[in-house]
Amino acid sequence: MSLSRLTILNDLPIPIRSRIIQPLPRVRDWLFFPTSDRWLSIFRIGLAVQLLLYVFSLRSDWNYLLGGTGRGLVSRDLAEALLSLESWMIPRFGWFIGLGKQLGIDETIVLSLSWYCLILGAIFLLIGLYSRVAAVASWFLYLCSVKSGGLGTYGVDALTTTGLFYLMLSPLPDRLSLDHVWRKKFADSQLLGFWRRVLQLHLCLIYFFSGLTKALGRDWWNGINLWRSLIRPPFDLIPADILVRFKYGFPVAGVAIFLLEIGYVFLIWRRGIGRVWLIAVLIMHLGIGLTMGMYLFASIMIILNLAAFGPGKLWREKELSEDVDPSLSVEPA
Amino acid sequence: MRRKNICLAWLAFHLFLVTAICVRQLSWLIANGLTIVPFTPAGIASPAEKARSTTAERARSNPAKPLLVGYLHCAGIEGAYGFFAPNVPENYKLAFEFRNRDGSVEYDLPSVDSGAAELRVGSLLDAIGRSDSEKYRRILIRMLTAAVWENHPEAISVHAVFGKLKLPSPLEFERGVAPSYEFIAAYDFERSADSNPK
Repeated sequence: MSLSRLTILNDLPIPIRSRIIQPLPRVRDWLFFPTSDRWLSIFRIGLAVQLLLYVFSLRSDWNYLLGGTGRGLVSRDLAEALLSLESWMIPRFGWFIGLGKQLGIDETIVLSLSWYCLILGAIFLLIGLYSRVAAVASWFLYLCSVKSGGLGTYGVDALTTTGLFYLMLSPLPDRLSLDHVWRKKFADSQLLGFWRRVLQLHLCLIYFFSGLTKALGRDWWNGINLWRSLIRPPFDLIPADILVRFKYGFPVAGVAIFLLEIGYVFLIWRRGIGRVWLIAVLIMHLGIGLTMGMYLFASIMIILNLAAFGPGKLWREKELSEDVDPSLSVEPA
Repeated sequence: MRRKNICLAWLAFHLFLVTAICVRQLSWLIANGLTIVPFTPAGIASPAEKARSTTAERARSNPAKPLLVGYLHCAGIEGAYGFFAPNVPENYKLAFEFRNRDGSVEYDLPSVDSGAAELRVGSLLDAIGRSDSEKYRRILIRMLTAAVWENHPEAISVHAVFGKLKLPSPLEFERGVAPSYEFIAAYDFERSADSNPK
């Protein structure tokens, strides 16, 4: 910093001067804020339940969706060949199946084993035993299944992958895990707040861009898009002749949806309105799940929101993790 | 302190990637006239295309690209977050007409057991419909045909019809307009000696 700039800064009041000179420490303090590990418990248990729902919902179709040429709906080999064009390092089941072939194990057995391993990983994650290993294994196997079945993926897969990616890097274990109860392992408290902020900021970006893109679509303003999304197969759970009775409500609901999403990034941080906003977003996702049958999509969004903003907004955060300095006050999330 | 700085640097990099992917997707939607933003593609599209192809050529020769793309996929941030935006995507359908040796005809659709898998088949058909490549579309439809053919061992040939579902607006629906299918393409396959459709 030049001498003249320092002289000007010295004339400013101390609070303003410290704000100008020390933006990085302020950002650092905000990101590494003290928080309890309750959010991490919600995150871990929620993602474990999400994984179980995923594997059980695809139980009867697992091998059919992930089978190789001549064995599945669409060849896994094609999906993996397309992946290879993008990057050689994207995880896929082809690696295990290739290994299995060398050992004389059939593809269907490898795929079935992967299904059971994913369940096992989810159960270990749910109870919090070997949390870190379970999180890494679950993320890896889930990513393999999503990428190998890549031609039939949709939004829920990317969101669950992101959730598992953050969970794997988060300071596990939390206090509700068996790792903590039995093995007396503790989370790294310095990083608890940071990873919660990562999740919060990512959610803000998701909603902001989703809302902005909707706002730029003409048919979200007149409600046609909302109508179409509800009568479009396979989301047409409610008969169109019932939906049409609410035709004047569609434009209002369409605008409300993108305003809710765009407003999330600005209002979720505020004390009073943030709680209202969070509840509204949770209701929106519940509605998507119930009216469109997108249960997995609804559940992952609810889990991410509850973990990121639930503690402190929907219920009070009373305690800090045992290894956090108790003199630090817990900020509202 | 050093660990915190590393975390900060990673977060900045990570969120930059998320934002860049979303902005890129939004720009593409605007540039292609898919939004309410008034835009004349003629003047700007050409240099943009040129720049994109140059970037792609550069990226192909860049050894860091597979690492970056791999990271994006591993973190689940390879795509933007435009759920049903700016517009609800078209709904595509694939129907099969299997012809048996005795001249009889059977109809079928790509089917799976669970509702969760049905959503994935829907995504797959949408991906086929959105593709500009006729070759890619034909390969995927041929694979789907082969899978469904397993349920029709007597069939000697199949006529696969790919179409788009046109949904009425609420007012059209009230006037009695029903959803209709718009023909996109049809493919004929015959069972070869190795039991694969040709």
